[in-house]
Amino acid sequence: MSPLKPDLHAILDLDRIVHEPARLAILTVLAAAESVEFLFLQRITGLSKGNLSSHTQKLEAAGFLETLKAFRGRIPVTSFQITEDGRAALHAYHKQLRALLPKEGQP
Amino acid sequence: MTPHDLDALGALTRDYAAFQARKSGLATALGGLMGIVLVLAALSPNFMGVHAMDRLLVEYLVWVPLLWLVLKEAFSRMLYRGLGTVKASPDGGYERKRWLWILGLALFLIAVLLAALYAFASGFLQANQPRAALCPPPLWILLMPLVYLLPMPWTVRGFEEARVYLVLVGQCILWLVPMFLFSFRPPTPPLPSGWGLFGNLTGIGFVALVELVQIWGALAMVRGWKEHREYLALLRSLPRVQEG
Repeated sequence: MSPLKPDLHAILDLDRIVHEPARLAILTVLAAAESVEFLFLQRITGLSKGNLSSHTQKLEAAGFLETLKAFRGRIPVTSFQITEDGRAALHAYHKQLRALLPKEGQP
Repeated sequence: MTPHDLDALGALTRDYAAFQARKSGLATALGGLMGIVLVLAALSPNFMGVHAMDRLLVEYLVWVPLLWLVLKEAFSRMLYRGLGTVKASPDGGYERKRWLWILGLALFLIAVLLAALYAFASGFLQANQPRAALCPPPLWILLMPLVYLLPMPWTVRGFEEARVYLVLVGQCILWLVPMFLFSFRPPTPPLPSGWGLFGNLTGIGFVALVELVQIWGALAMVRGWKEHREYLALLRSLPRVQEG
């Protein structure tokens, strides 16, 4: 088996928790605010409730977001907040991706 | 998903959050309209059949800023939070750049208000005792601008809420001041006693304040309508939610 090219190593090194498009969108939205309610996250990502719940659970398990539960009157309201680890992971992912993308003028 | 898409997602979130932190959309437009009506009402000897000096109208004018605050919250809940609450991140860098400007503006407003209110309270009010009964005590008026100082510790630390508070209080005071001043119409010559050079300068200040409120009101109406259209565009740009 031939050794992998450095670029391919870099691709395989991408954080797969963050790399998944839905989770990347969720983290991007959370990074743009202090806290975000479930309903807005669902509308802006276009994900179904089940899909969104599944992805947020994975991100929470990775320590990238926190779930905040509250009540508005008698209605339970779920919001999310990105953690420092989540912000760092997103930042590192952006950095890795930029390094992989071809510069302007390159094929 | 391209970096451009990700930037757009972040920008959409920040724009939506802005409507819960500092943008008021139609409430801003309504505020501008109320500001203009307030000054016109206070200036008019007869507003909608009510004499400008009547206690009923004066009390109504006192409550207008509070009415606006209630309407602003109602508008915000009904129109701009339909997709849930998104709390904006405090933008430390931006606020640090702005806090000197905010502090300067607050101090300027305090100085202008103190001068105008002091002139009004010590000059015209004392010379027109019967009308003074309609107005809160001069000391109470003079303390009003101090509410500007309340959020200063937050402002220096760069909290978004402090800036919003300053704007809100500023709008309320901008409305209250012409109400206090113009519900006691500026006297025509010969001037009553106690209405000397300082009073004349204050009179010029009255006119400037009228113009300021009218211009501010017109700009607020344009800005509020523009913000509302931005919000509608934001809603249209959201993707369709998946079924299931």
